[in-house]
Formats: sequence, C-alpha cells, structure tokens
Amino acid sequence: MGMLEIRDITSGYGEVQILWGTTLNLEKGDLTSLVGANGAGKTTTMRTIMGLLKPWQGSVWFDGQDISNMSAHEKAEIGVVLVPEGRQLFTQMSIEENLEMGASPKRARPHIQRNLERVYAMFPRLKERRLQKAGTMSGGEQQMLAVARGIMAEPIVLMIDELSLGLAPVLVLDLFQTLQKLKSEGMTMMLVEQNVQMALAVSDYAYVMAHGKVELHGNSRELAKNEYVRKAYLGL
Amino acid sequence: MDFLLASLIDGLLLGFVYGIAAMGLTLIWGVMNVINLSHGPIIALGMFGVYYIFSALGIHPYLALIAVAAGGLLLGGLIYFVAVHRVIDAPHLSTLLATFSVNMIIIGLGTAAFSASPRNVDFTLGSFEIGSITILGTRLVAAILAMFVTGGLYLFLYKSRYGRYIRAVTDNRDAAELMGVPSVRILALSFGLGTMLAAISGGLIATFFPFTILAGGSYELKSFVVSVLGGLGNPVGALLAGLILGAIEGIIPTVLPTTWVPVLEFVLFILILLFRPQGLFKTKSS
Ligand SMILES: Nc1ncnc2c1ncn2[C@@H]1O[C@H](COP(=O)(O)OP(=O)(O)OP(=O)(O)O)[C@@H](O)[C@H]1O
Ligand SMILES: [Mg+2]
Repeated sequence: MGMLEIRDITSGYGEVQILWGTTLNLEKGDLTSLVGANGAGKTTTMRTIMGLLKPWQGSVWFDGQDISNMSAHEKAEIGVVLVPEGRQLFTQMSIEENLEMGASPKRARPHIQRNLERVYAMFPRLKERRLQKAGTMSGGEQQMLAVARGIMAEPIVLMIDELSLGLAPVLVLDLFQTLQKLKSEGMTMMLVEQNVQMALAVSDYAYVMAHGKVELHGNSRELAKNEYVRKAYLGL
Repeated sequence: MDFLLASLIDGLLLGFVYGIAAMGLTLIWGVMNVINLSHGPIIALGMFGVYYIFSALGIHPYLALIAVAAGGLLLGGLIYFVAVHRVIDAPHLSTLLATFSVNMIIIGLGTAAFSASPRNVDFTLGSFEIGSITILGTRLVAAILAMFVTGGLYLFLYKSRYGRYIRAVTDNRDAAELMGVPSVRILALSFGLGTMLAAISGGLIATFFPFTILAGGSYELKSFVVSVLGGLGNPVGALLAGLILGAIEGIIPTVLPTTWVPVLEFVLFILILLFRPQGLFKTKSS
C-alpha cells in the first residue's frame, strides 16, 4: 500500500469535468513524477488531492487513512504538502516570513530553527535576501522560496507542481540534488514536470497523464525506453 | 487664532476615534474584499453597550469598553458565519446585500429594544486648559485609547502568529490553506476584529456625544470617507486619514455654517475617488 493513494478521482471546475478517473499511487520513500501535455490535468489533480478542489468521486488515502474529506489546511497539518503551480508566495511578506508561514503546521513548529538552517543551506541566496519582500524577487528566486517554504512544513509527502519552470538549467540540477537528499531522508515525493526527460531520469516511478486520465505508468527507467513515450513526450 | 487652534485640537482628538472606526471597515475590506454595511449599527451597539454597562451595572465606561470589545469580536465572528461566509466568493453585490441585511436586522431589533430616543452616558472627566485652550477630558482619553488600540492592532497583525495568518490569507488564501492555515477561521477572526474596532469606536464616541440606535449611520459614512482617503485596506492610512477628517470637521465650523461639513467631506470623498483612488498614502509599489 502506498503512502499516498488517489483512487479513481473525478473532478473539474463548475460544470466542466477535467479529471475522468485518475488513479495514482505514491510508494513510501519514492520520487514519483507526473508528466503530460499542457492541459492534461496535472495541476487539477494536485488541487483535488489537496482539497482546494472538491473531488466529485473517488478518494484520497494517506498512510492507510481516508483523507478525501479533509480540507487543505488539515492535510498540510498531517504532512501532505503541495508547492503549488505559479509559486503562490505571500508577496507582501519578507522571505523569512514566507518561510515562517511554511512552518505553520503544528508538527513543523518545533523544527522551525533546524528547517530554516536547512533551507538556507540549500538556497544561500534566500538567506542573503531574507528581509526582502517575496514579490520583488526574480522568478528563479521565487521558485526557490516556494520549494523552501514547502520544506519548512516538515512534509511526509511533498508534491511540487512545476519544479523547473523558469529556472536556469544549473539551478534545476541543484534542485534535483536537493530532492535526492530529501528522498534519502525518507520523504515521499511527487514532481509535476514539463521536462519529461529530466523527470524520468530522476524519478523512481512515473505517471503519464492525458485528457484527465492516466495514460501510462511504470518504472521511470522503463518508461524512458518506451517507444510511445519517446515519440510523444521526448520528441525522439 | 486660539479659537481655531482649539477647534483643530478638538477635531484631531475626534479624528483618532474616526480612525479606528475606519480601520475596522478597511481591515475587513483588505482581508476579504467585503464592504461591511453593518458597520454603522455595530458602532451604535458599541454605544449602547457602554451606556447599559455603565448605567445599569455602574461599571466605569472605560472598563465597559473591554466588554464591548469582546462582544464586538464575538458578534463579528457570528455575523461572518451566519451572513457572510456562504457568499464570500460570490460577486460583491451578494456580500453587500448580506451585510446590509444584518444592518437592517440590528437596526430593527435595536429600535424595538432601545426605542429611537436619544441617550447619553452621564459621565464626565471635566476639562483642562492649556494656555487659553480648553480640552475635554473624555475626548483626550478617547484619543489616547484609540492610539493604544491602533498600536495593539499593529502588534497583533505584525508580531503574532494569528496576525501573520491574517496577512497571509489577505495575500493569498489558497497558499495559506496549503501551509496549514485554517482560512475560514481566519476570515471569521478578521471580521470579528473589524467589528470589534467599530464597537470600540462607538463606545468611545458615547462618552462625549448623545446617540440613538441610528447614530451609527453617519459614522459609517465617515468611515467610508476615511477608508478611501487612507487607501482601502490600509489600516495605518485609515488612522492618518481619520485625523485629517477630524481636523476638517474641527476647522470648517469656524469659517462656515456646520451644515457645510458633510458637503465638504463628500466633495473630498469624490475628489479622492476621481484623482487618487488608491488613497493618499499608498505608494505605487505597495
Ligand atoms: N479555474 C479553471 N476554470 C476552468 N477550467 C480550468 C481552470 N483551471 C484549469 N482549467 C482547465 O482544466 C484543464 C486542465 O488544466 P490543468 O491546469 O490541470 O493542466 P496541467 O496539466 O497542469 O497543464 P500545464 O502543464 O499547462 O500546467 C485545462 O483544459 C484548463 O483549461
Ligand atoms: Mg499545471
């Protein structure tokens, strides 16, 4: 049984159905990637898992517990954390305050000092600018802050929607190394990525989404060799 | 000259109280984009709160204010859950109508309970003279208390956990939820704080002006002028703008008939809306 399981979820916006029975399973300690074309429904899946969008049908399970009816803040409280698409920082707050906000869940509060040191070590740039308003940082710096803020929440499952968007390739490599480190500490992770090649290279397991459904899934290394995936998603 | 100075000081002292009333309005707008049309009746309830606690229980009006503040906080939370929460994401007209309904309910119940005859809190702190200028004790204390309330609000918003949550929800509600902030409770708390400020301002006004259950209406309108002047959603701006409005109210009657006060206030209101809708104090970057 996985750490986080999404069973046959349907959902959408207003009357418009976007997800048509999505099923995902994140094994404990795995780095799972979720890839797919623009508009496939990846962000919608993330929002539905967190409860920002109500699932119409289906269920979400965390560590054997049905959490389908929990609201987003309750999920964050038990360790299910999303770094949302588009960063969604608190633009009027300083970098440090954003990080403190990340440590809002009760389970994260006792570790705030340790986690602050940890994310400052990962992203020295954030430390240099810790009193700057988040809204005035560059896109890349904002992305670092968004990831750092997620780590501050002491996640058990960390999901990141669009990790590499707008980042310089060197930085992306850095970030992936950071994630490997978190993984070695036992964190369960899911990455939504545009860069399919990169995603398949770093993850253990991958889901390919199309039109609101999982089209393919499997071991990342095998998917990377899959003829269809190579044609449709890697352009090879 | 002394007469002018005395009127100016009188007006400025009153301005602090206008300031905290407007802070209540502007806080609610800033956090949840709701224009609270029950603001006026809550100011009036604050007046009646101090009046009854003082005249029926014999408790000092400034102590009564503590109870009025607590009552305002709870009432605001209640109004949020009963009237505002379900329409919070609906277009502005829905929240306007919802809070307007609360306004009508309070006025209706208040008229039945208190009648429409004027009251006043029979209480004075005398007055004292500085040179040739006379200052009313109750007004001075009201201004000082209003400053403390403002300082307290600032400390709460910028130095406490829940204050930070309020700013986070203001900034980005979804992100706050994702970080574990119970945003619905934070919205209710913010609405409660907004009505608490209204109730306190009413309680302070009651210590120097007579009032009826309808008296809140004119202070609500002043709160709108002050909020817009200070920049909607900006509590510190509201306090400064309150002082400006107070000063205007102090000085105009020394040169024109008093009936001109509301005329000029609303001319100012329209001018601000036309030429500086972001308020006097808001810089472009923030
Ligand atoms: N708020 C919304 N209201 C209505 N439709 C929406 C909304 N948000 C997304 N959609 C639609 O839902 C579909 C899936 O969008 P989603 O954001 O989940 O895609 P995605 O896989 O994350 O794409 P991308 O890779 O571009 O981020 C799209 O067709 C999109 O237009
Ligand atoms: Mg997306």
